[in-house]
Amino acid sequence: MSQVPQITRIQELIYELPIERVMTKNVITVSPDTTMSELKEILRINRISGTPVVEGGRLVGIISIEDLIKALEKGDIHAPVRERMSTRIITVQANESVVEAVKKFAQYKVGRLPVVNEHGDLVGILTGGDITRGLLEAIGLDYHAEEISRYRARHIFEDIVSDQTGLILRYHIKPRDFTGGGSASSKIKRALDRLGAPPLIQRRVAIAAYEAEMNLIIHTDNGGELIAEIQPEVIRIVATDNGPGIADIEQAMQPGFSTAPNWIRELGFGAGMGLANIKKCSDSMKLESQVGVGTRLEIVIRIQPVMSSGNATRPSEGQEKQETS
Amino acid sequence: MIALSEIVQKLNLEVVGSAENLDRRVVAGYASDLLSCAMNRAKKDYVWVTLQSHANVVAVASLLDLAAVIITEGNRPDDETIARAESEGVCLLLTPKTTFSVVGELAALGVRGEAQQP
Amino acid sequence: MKLRDIIRVVEGKVLTEGVNLDMEISCAAGADLMSDVLAFAKPNALLLTGLVNPQVVRTAEMADIAAIVFVRGKMPGPETIALAKEKGIPLIAAPYTMFEMCGRLYEAGMASCDLDTKQE
Repeated sequence: MSQVPQITRIQELIYELPIERVMTKNVITVSPDTTMSELKEILRINRISGTPVVEGGRLVGIISIEDLIKALEKGDIHAPVRERMSTRIITVQANESVVEAVKKFAQYKVGRLPVVNEHGDLVGILTGGDITRGLLEAIGLDYHAEEISRYRARHIFEDIVSDQTGLILRYHIKPRDFTGGGSASSKIKRALDRLGAPPLIQRRVAIAAYEAEMNLIIHTDNGGELIAEIQPEVIRIVATDNGPGIADIEQAMQPGFSTAPNWIRELGFGAGMGLANIKKCSDSMKLESQVGVGTRLEIVIRIQPVMSSGNATRPSEGQEKQETS
Repeated sequence: MIALSEIVQKLNLEVVGSAENLDRRVVAGYASDLLSCAMNRAKKDYVWVTLQSHANVVAVASLLDLAAVIITEGNRPDDETIARAESEGVCLLLTPKTTFSVVGELAALGVRGEAQQP
Repeated sequence: MKLRDIIRVVEGKVLTEGVNLDMEISCAAGADLMSDVLAFAKPNALLLTGLVNPQVVRTAEMADIAAIVFVRGKMPGPETIALAKEKGIPLIAAPYTMFEMCGRLYEAGMASCDLDTKQE
């Protein structure tokens, strides 16, 4: 799974990154009158394998180490660059995306591409190595920013020491806000991901929190509050509201029982399965309610230590569940 | 067209509610958990596949004169709903399988959904 | 089964750009009740549904569902599409009924998200 987004990101970058971001800007050029012998020194000193040939500010050719070798073989080392250079000049625009350069490298099998601006002036030079380096840097920046915030989040419980450290996320849930529903649970899930919680735990918490959040949206008069308390070994989700309250909790817990209005049912909710779902996802749950006063739902999900997987099995269905009566 | 009894046998379904019309022929299938969709789309002699098991399912089936309702995922109607199905001549068929599996098996038996063009 | 093959079988149209069509789908389920989806869905599952509201995407996000197919040519609104893009969940519109699409996918060898795997 983790490889997929990376590949996508490189694909994106090839299209997103302009050539001017990855090209070499300080271009070393030679004149057509430079001798091949002088060129040899220029290439050696600058550790480059080719350079554009410029005359009167205009790009007139390109000369590479291969041309130099051919000149050496022929004993033509004192000839001017003009006689040995390639005049087939393929350029790319500085503001084009890297993908255009990739296409030209593949099509013309050249080792370097002079980069020109909109007026045709030479502004840089691009090799395959420049592209690789540019992409790696861009990904590195993305990756680093993400890694650093993940690292910080994961070590929060080690950095901050107390007898009982917990992180509290509090969300106000608006009544009847069907469109925005689930955004609090989404943020809780993301926080757990940041904190490095195992995917299975993230999923159980997300499902339980989402059902609780939708209950607040669907059933309450004034909305309510969804609180996630995250501790290193346990996650507690508490949903509270101030009415209307549940008349018969035992009945409410029964799968299929629902007081949801028709419009909610037609939106795919209110089929009387929410509380059963929450119960299934949690290690324990407690539902207290009083008609006319309000309801409090508390869900506890334990994080099993990942390292000692030998004894990290979840209690089987039905065990360690706190029932309300 | 396949007989309801053959579907019951091949898919190993539990019959509750009315069992008087098991020789009835099934013309097509419809799957949805939304009652309003079933009201709109399912027709006479269709088999409706849903996981809903409450009394309104019987009302829809009776109103549309469906061949049967297959209730999936081990959902079981309460006694009141079953009694209502019996009195209204509605055949309810129960299975622990998912809607996806049941429809797949029905399709393999030649029961098709009504294809809608966009 | 790859998402690409699923789209071919249901004759679907992708509504969110930038979709990885080679994504592997583990199993499929047809459902219109979101609590039911939350109960059975396995990671990397495909959801076939007649609902097009944003909560379908939320549900998919919570349950790690890989992709959503809307039945009977139903088109989600901009809010639903925007949320799906944000969460990276592909949306596909297809012309057939849920019954027809479950049948086609089943015949093409798609597995069902079965109940014994709940919350695994």
